[in-house]
Amino acid sequence: MQSEVRLVEAGAMGRVAYARVAPNEDLVSSIEKLCAAEGFRHAFVRGALGSLVDACFVAPDGGTRQVRGPAVEIVSLAGEVRTQGDGSLRAAITGIVADTEGHVHGGPFVAGANPVCVTFEVTLEEWLPDAA
Amino acid sequence: MTDFTTAQPLPRPRTLVHPGPVGAIRIEHRHANRGRHFRLGLEPGRTLQDAIIEPLLALGVRAASMTLLGGRLSRLLYCVAPPDPTGARVANYTRPIEAGAATLIFGNATLGCNGRGEPLVHCHATFACDDGRVRGGHIVVDRSVAQSAIPVLATSLDGIELRITQDDETHMPLMRPFEAAANEMEETPHAV
Repeated sequence: MQSEVRLVEAGAMGRVAYARVAPNEDLVSSIEKLCAAEGFRHAFVRGALGSLVDACFVAPDGGTRQVRGPAVEIVSLAGEVRTQGDGSLRAAITGIVADTEGHVHGGPFVAGANPVCVTFEVTLEEWLPDAA
Repeated sequence: MTDFTTAQPLPRPRTLVHPGPVGAIRIEHRHANRGRHFRLGLEPGRTLQDAIIEPLLALGVRAASMTLLGGRLSRLLYCVAPPDPTGARVANYTRPIEAGAATLIFGNATLGCNGRGEPLVHCHATFACDDGRVRGGHIVVDRSVAQSAIPVLATSLDGIELRITQDDETHMPLMRPFEAAANEMEETPHAV
């Protein structure tokens, strides 16, 4: 069935990529661009730290919530990148940030609204699913 | 027919201007053909820096990306990064803030080296202070001390050297990936 959701996917980890992302690049799209540059079709975030100008999360009501910096420290990230049906890459990234007073905030990052402040270090591990 | 979608406007991202010339390469990256994984328990009584570096060096790991799971610290110091009042940089770390004893919630760390080739750890984490406050930031790893055997998952970055260099654009010392010296895996540099 075309619309069937595959809940269990067996596979293996492949290559590991590390990147340093420069100021004003977007957190989410830089992860997608890293996969495109490395030729990863699917990947998991294995580690990340750095800072954002301001952080922007999807709020529970579907709107957005912005944490003002600079700098907002990225303290932990979780997420993955998946190749879509049209061949595009889509990263879904959630995480926790600390504001300029050390207070923590978290949620899903809004793509295009999380510019890097000073640097963003990210490690991705390639995911190689077995053929369906 | 043209396919339209509508959405609420996002908060407009701010583009900050750093004090130095803007570098042409925005994503500097390298890869290892395979990650090796190690689970560490950080030795109680030691600083996070020593408890991470020593076992990894003994395993022959000089560059790694790590996830720090929960555990206790007998002492934790951290920094946050508000705007730099001198204007020399966009933002700069504060002096270390003493959090006392604390419970680590989750953190990420990178093992690399400084300009002299000496190993160092860059760590950001979230933690709960003993008075119940939850805070986060840049952890001062050479002064924060493990109390329990904090579990750490380390993924080695074989063939990659992560080295702190002074960044012209931001005027900050930053970790960047380089090709590791001989006797490790050969890698080809890439940039986008």
